[in-house]
Amino acid sequence: MEIKINKTEEGKVVEFIGRLDTPAALEANETLAPLFEGATGTTILDCEKMTYISSSGLRIFLTLRKSALQKGGKVIVRSINDDIRSVFLMTGFLNLFEIQ
Amino acid sequence: MKLQTPIMRKSVWTSILLVLFAALIIEVSSLFQYFYAIKGLKSEASLRAEGELENTRIQISDVLDQAEAALRNNLWIARWCLDHPDSLEAVTRRIIEDNPVVVGSTVALVPGYYKRNPLLAPYSYRNLDTGEILTKSLATPEYDYPSHEWFSKALTREPGCWSEPYVDEGGGEMLMTTFSMPVKDDSGKTAAILTVDVSLDWLTSMFGDVKVYPSAFSVMASSSGRIMVCPVQSFVMKKTIQDIIDSLEDKAAFDTLSRDMLSGKSGSRLVRYKGKKEYVYFAPVERTGWSMSIVIPEDEIYSDIRKLGWRVRLLQLLGLFMLFFIIRFVARNQLKYNNLTEKKNLMENELKIASDIQMSMIPSSQSPFSDRHDFDMAAALFPAREVGGDLYDYFIRAGKLFFCIGDVSGKGVPASLVMAVTRSLFRTVSSHEDSPGRIVQIMNNSMSEMNKNSLFVTFFCGILDLATGQLRYCNAGHNTPVFLSATKHLLDVVPNLPLGVVYDMSFQEQEIMMYDDDAIFLYTDGLTEAENKDHDLFGEKRMMSVLSTRRTAEDLIETMKKNVNVFVGQAPQSDDLTMLFIHYLNGDLPRSNVPHIVLRNEVSQVSRLAGFVEGVAQECGMDPSTEMGINLALEEIVTNVIMYAYPKGTEGFAEIKVRTRDNAVDFEVSDSGKPFDPTAMPEVDISLGAEERKIGGLGIHLARKIMDAISYERKNDKNILTLTKKLNNHGN
Repeated sequence: MEIKINKTEEGKVVEFIGRLDTPAALEANETLAPLFEGATGTTILDCEKMTYISSSGLRIFLTLRKSALQKGGKVIVRSINDDIRSVFLMTGFLNLFEIQ
Repeated sequence: MKLQTPIMRKSVWTSILLVLFAALIIEVSSLFQYFYAIKGLKSEASLRAEGELENTRIQISDVLDQAEAALRNNLWIARWCLDHPDSLEAVTRRIIEDNPVVVGSTVALVPGYYKRNPLLAPYSYRNLDTGEILTKSLATPEYDYPSHEWFSKALTREPGCWSEPYVDEGGGEMLMTTFSMPVKDDSGKTAAILTVDVSLDWLTSMFGDVKVYPSAFSVMASSSGRIMVCPVQSFVMKKTIQDIIDSLEDKAAFDTLSRDMLSGKSGSRLVRYKGKKEYVYFAPVERTGWSMSIVIPEDEIYSDIRKLGWRVRLLQLLGLFMLFFIIRFVARNQLKYNNLTEKKNLMENELKIASDIQMSMIPSSQSPFSDRHDFDMAAALFPAREVGGDLYDYFIRAGKLFFCIGDVSGKGVPASLVMAVTRSLFRTVSSHEDSPGRIVQIMNNSMSEMNKNSLFVTFFCGILDLATGQLRYCNAGHNTPVFLSATKHLLDVVPNLPLGVVYDMSFQEQEIMMYDDDAIFLYTDGLTEAENKDHDLFGEKRMMSVLSTRRTAEDLIETMKKNVNVFVGQAPQSDDLTMLFIHYLNGDLPRSNVPHIVLRNEVSQVSRLAGFVEGVAQECGMDPSTEMGINLALEEIVTNVIMYAYPKGTEGFAEIKVRTRDNAVDFEVSDSGKPFDPTAMPEVDISLGAEERKIGGLGIHLARKIMDAISYERKNDKNILTLTKKLNNHGN
């Protein structure tokens, strides 16, 4: 898993490339910790190149969502594929996020 | 000692040859020297002899001159006194008085010159004892002076003549010679003969005593060959040279010599007398026709050089003798040195053999168990010298792979002997012991008992149960092996003391589970401490980077060695290098029927699932979405086991076995952790908003959603969760 963070006009764009399985999620958790603190603006989770997500990955999304809620930020999930969409569906995440 | 005899013989012969060569050079130069010295001595001898002859001649001439002068000076008085016969006696007396060389003088009248006094010869002579001048008459019938040579010969010789030497028995009673001259009267008629006698006794003592060399002697002969001076006193005036020559064997040589001498020649001759060579130098006394000669034995001329020659030769011999010993000493050392080289070669040969033996003691390094599918292993040992102190060994007994690696302190032959002992002990002890701790302990006791040279061995012993993957091991101060699973890390080891240090010490044994695809890499410090020419070490970092590439065991060992070689470059190998790699494949479970994976309780293991599921999916012809779903469901279950089934810090595993049926696949996930039934977990409310949603619990929810059935059972202290997925694309 590779994670890229870019600041754009829209806000912070976090690009996930590859599989976000449990070990990857543990790593990503550390990489993204600063984002949780400063989730005041718009955070876009770009999942175009993400091929897989496990519950640990979903947890990161949820944690981000929660801290954004607290701090008045906004989290947008962008470009999820069908498989991941079904995972979102199964877990009710489709309702929790603004999906683009 | 056997080797020394040919050396000594060889050195003796070499020395003799060299000494002979030196002797030849010395001899040739000595001969030259001798030749020139001889020549010099010969010319010196002739100079000395000729000098003496000349000296003698001068003295004789001097005396003869004085005598002749005395006579001539008184000739006119004698003539004047012819008319006064009575005064003739006074004339003779006067001659003697005035001339010390003259010992006698007479005026002998020609018979019949005086009518009344037919014979008249008054003779004055010096009494040599008293110096008194006595007078007597020679005109006695007994003496008969007209018959004497000095008288008769002088009658016809105007200028006077010297008589043959004679012993004047009636006159002076001594060896003498007489100079006679005729005295003529006024009419020119010879009236009388005036004589002066010269004693030759002084000649005998003077010339006879000439000793140019100790054994040299002088001979003087008159013109008729009568001996005048000679070392044999009885020959004097009694014998002639001819008489002596006649008594010799080698007459011919002496004949020419005597002829030359008597004919007034001078020169030198080498003659042989009684087997000895003698040089004869001769010269005449002109006026009298006498011949002087000096005889020098050749031996004496050369005696000095011959004496010197012997001394020099003795010294040379001594020198050559010393030279011989010096050369032999040097040659021997040289040969010994050569022999050392031979010995060195011999030793190298022996070391080569020792090396071969040592190498044959350890098992073959390549694909030792190529027929087995449950593990892949390779090993290699590279001694720094011909023989080394590293070792490894392995064998299979009762379904268990016994293996060990060790490093004897030190290098070379001493270390290699301890290595051999260690390896034998390992084989012996492990043939009946199944516990690595016990094996190491027994080996330690044996080795500390006999360890007098304080050589110790760092040692690692492992026993891998090939059926279960259980690895029990004991580390005795050896480099910590690397354990390769999904991650690679150093094996957890208790740092026990090396073997052979303390007697009766217990060694702590440890245990770890090896799962499919796990591997263990063992090595000696020759690997991490391989030095390049700048004394940098190969180090763990480089080793680890090679280990992170997955290869076959054999390839991995080869690659590692290549990397070391490249790093070390031209620097000499500093220490023995040994590596052992065991790749556990757990293939003794039937492979094709039951896809199967064992994951250790480490989160990183989860990543292995993707590949495993992919394989199952291919076999079952699943679509990618189903495959991903199954991967996700299994990951959630396994993650739970890994994170929560075992107490923190303990080893555990989760095993997944796959059973395919006609229209479904069963995944059996088992673990031996604390009892836990996921199916009993309450459902997660997914309708809640973000604020209310709890973090966690989603995993089991996903598994439930994805899978068609989940069942749990606790059996043999194991949690067994079976997840079933129906295959709706059956038949595709």
